[in-house]
Amino acid sequence: MSLEKLRRLDDTRLEVPVDYKPGMRVNGNIYVDRILEKELEASAVEQVANVATLPGIVRASIAMPDIHTGYGFPIGGVAAFDHGSGIISPGGVGYDIN
Amino acid sequence: MKQDVLPRLKDLVEVLYREVPSGVGSKGKLRLGPEDERKLLINGAKWAISKGYGDASDLERMESNGCMDGADPSLISARAYERGRAQQGTLGSGNHFLEIQFVDKIYDEQAADSFGLFEGQITVMIHTGSRGFGHQVCTDFLEVMEKAAKKYEITLYDRELACAPFSSPEAQDYLSAMRAAANYAWANRQCIMHWTREAFMQTLSATPGSLGMGLVYDVAHNMAKIEEHTVNGQKRKLIVHRKGATRAFPPGHPELPDVYKRTGQPVLIPGDMGRASYVLVGAEKAMEETFGSSCHGAGRIMSRHQAIRRAKGRAIWRELSDKGIIVRSAGRETLAEEMPEAYKDISNVVDVVHNAGIAKKVVRLRPMGVVKG
Repeated sequence: MSLEKLRRLDDTRLEVPVDYKPGMRVNGNIYVDRILEKELEASAVEQVANVATLPGIVRASIAMPDIHTGYGFPIGGVAAFDHGSGIISPGGVGYDIN
Repeated sequence: MKQDVLPRLKDLVEVLYREVPSGVGSKGKLRLGPEDERKLLINGAKWAISKGYGDASDLERMESNGCMDGADPSLISARAYERGRAQQGTLGSGNHFLEIQFVDKIYDEQAADSFGLFEGQITVMIHTGSRGFGHQVCTDFLEVMEKAAKKYEITLYDRELACAPFSSPEAQDYLSAMRAAANYAWANRQCIMHWTREAFMQTLSATPGSLGMGLVYDVAHNMAKIEEHTVNGQKRKLIVHRKGATRAFPPGHPELPDVYKRTGQPVLIPGDMGRASYVLVGAEKAMEETFGSSCHGAGRIMSRHQAIRRAKGRAIWRELSDKGIIVRSAGRETLAEEMPEAYKDISNVVDVVHNAGIAKKVVRLRPMGVVKG
């Protein structure tokens, strides 16, 4: 992975730029400071970028500081999709529903 | 208060371990007929309360009042029913737990007061969900969604992103089945909370009134919900997916109950069993940046296998007991998988959301007794 492709927005946010990988429709936003940045998993960052490719995604593919790799979507992930043009995905909720 | 519980802590943990079934595939004390099963999936925590588990006043302090409308039990597979039948009212294994804690630090007096929290107070945190039932719902619909993604020609950069256009029948079916699983989870926690209150009453020879074990909040963290959000000045209806992320609505949000409208929504952040947990309150930035969401917990830094390897030859229960934390677990492996160092430091995680302004610290909780699956 290329952590160097990520851009620090401020003390609490890293941006996964929309050109991080082909097909991304929006940026990724990962809420980590410089301490937790060191614990970021490459595969989880990849998942943030993957989610950004899904149809109808709004604003950004977001991840919280407790981010780690999950099924398809990262655990600690937030993604919102347009009611008209967007999707719903079981991977965005996970196996442990609720 | 902490000093009242401390002398009976060991007994309390034992009674809780006995009264709340835990462990992989654990079976509960509830035996439900088909009619109750259906009602539970439609009514969530309300079903549990109608059966005498807890009090109707609990509902006000639950996200969505402990029930998602639009759940459809007819969309649930026979396998999911089978897995869920005996597991209602059980804690399960993995990262699920029931923890006796005390409030050790207050960051926001006003919010703490509004949540009914004060220094030295005993709290109980219950972390569990829809058990094998929800797991099976997810498994069933991943299959449906893989076909749907092909049918609707959605490019998937990873097949695990299987999905369907929200307006499609496949998507609507998943939503209704997921809501049934969410209701299963709310009923589950309600039953466990009820037995927890009973265990405290029994062990401390107290009455419900004198214990003051009111619910602070019950919040989901693995859900997709239809919500209205303002994006670039425009109000839009969105499908918000939160996976290991907690809703964190700020003061004044129309979906909050009256008791929390002025303060904002309590956000419960469980940490690992050795360090701490936190209660936060939703803040305005969450609406601007994260669709009203915050983190959920500490987040793993070791895989379960790594943790088991690292714990080899160690007695995790004794390490915790040396720190004054009593742990009771159904399985030795769970303790290894869940040992504190398998997780990020919760304080670092919480500091990020606090400093980002999406949820603000209210109190810190320290573990005293833990029941694990």
